[in-house]
Amino acid sequence: MPTDEQLLLLDLWVSPFSTRVKIALAEKGLSYETQEEDVLGGKSDLLLKSNPLYAKVPVLLHNGKPVVESTNIVYYIDETWPSPQLLPACSYGKSRARFWADFIDKKVFDAGSSIWKTKGEELEAAKKEFIDILKKLEGAMGDKDYFGGDKFGFVDVILIGLTTWFYVYEKYGGFKIEKECPKFAAWINRCKKRDSVAKNYVDPERTYEFVGMLRKMHGVE
Amino acid sequence: MDMSGSCEIVVVDFWANGFGMRVRIALEEKGIMYKYEEENLENPQRSQLVLDMNPVRKSVPILIDEGKPVCDSLAILEYIDERWKDGFPSLLPEDPYERAVARFWAQYVDNKIFDTQAKFLKSKGETKEDVKKELIGQLKLLDDALGEKLYFGGDKFGYLDVAFIPFSSMFSGYESHGSFKLEEECPKLSAWVKRCLAREGVSRVLPDFHQIYEIHKKWYGVE
Repeated sequence: MPTDEQLLLLDLWVSPFSTRVKIALAEKGLSYETQEEDVLGGKSDLLLKSNPLYAKVPVLLHNGKPVVESTNIVYYIDETWPSPQLLPACSYGKSRARFWADFIDKKVFDAGSSIWKTKGEELEAAKKEFIDILKKLEGAMGDKDYFGGDKFGFVDVILIGLTTWFYVYEKYGGFKIEKECPKFAAWINRCKKRDSVAKNYVDPERTYEFVGMLRKMHGVE
Repeated sequence: MDMSGSCEIVVVDFWANGFGMRVRIALEEKGIMYKYEEENLENPQRSQLVLDMNPVRKSVPILIDEGKPVCDSLAILEYIDERWKDGFPSLLPEDPYERAVARFWAQYVDNKIFDTQAKFLKSKGETKEDVKKELIGQLKLLDDALGEKLYFGGDKFGYLDVAFIPFSSMFSGYESHGSFKLEEECPKLSAWVKRCLAREGVSRVLPDFHQIYEIHKKWYGVE
């Protein structure tokens, strides 16, 4: 990367969406600085100026210009630094990747949140929905090693960051992904061996503690 | 219907579906001929074609190219832009930053404006007034994003114009429902709508405003 390029990531250590962006940056071998945002305490002026509509992290500032929404950021990273390419080469493959990225964004995190935010019957229903979603994703992967086929690709990047919160769902939901969706669990372990993922994968215990605090704030206990 | 090996471009959609209008407008802009298959969304049961082509989401629009389905309207727009690239007018800007901005606003339309307008059409009394302010506020953001440009794409009609123009078929409906004038609240957006409607492809695809308002009234229980 040319030395006059500046990358700054407005970050929250526990955010699976920030993790997603960090993995994309690592896959491209890009160096960047981070600014940790205290999203519960007080958001920085830079965050409020860079993302006035949503005031959320992550935000990637490239030479001062902000790109917001994590999936959008990954598209931007892939197009600005095309090598190695994350999206498939052909238009049809790209369209399938976009479809699954959108499915992941609309379903996975919200379904997981329903698990740690609820109790009793609601929790059981949330658990069932979450497992159904993982099974659909297993179907998308088929017999391949990755969603990208033989290579770790765009959809893998979009999804793997979210799995940093799966331990939380397993603990509160009383289930194990290894038992319910073994192919999916195998894919997580395969991805975690990659440098880009291993270096940025947030410790699940720390995440669990953080969500414990969120539960109290939401009055779930 | 056996779609394998077919050379045809097929669009499966419902006449009043704003998301599907995007796909049809994009194909018109590119000058691509296609076969239209109507999926009646007033029937809660999806057709076998939709279940086969989009088993995960069971939704329209679906673009079928040589028998292979492309789903999700914004993903379809990007597919159309890449598939028919050289020698065709482009939808997305070349510059990655401008592409990120266009995608951001298209997602804003989908994630915010669509839900707010549905809430607005369903609401009554005081709630309606509050939601009306929310909707106008969101439309003003698009008005600002357009600024002094002819189109969201700049001088050229592009991706965000295609993504947002179908919603304009309901603008007069919102005005009737909320007793306001878009021309007063969002003058740039109003001018933009007229400019887009002058394009052949857009006017061919967008349905009659009265018909679309009537079907929305039915769906949302508007009195």
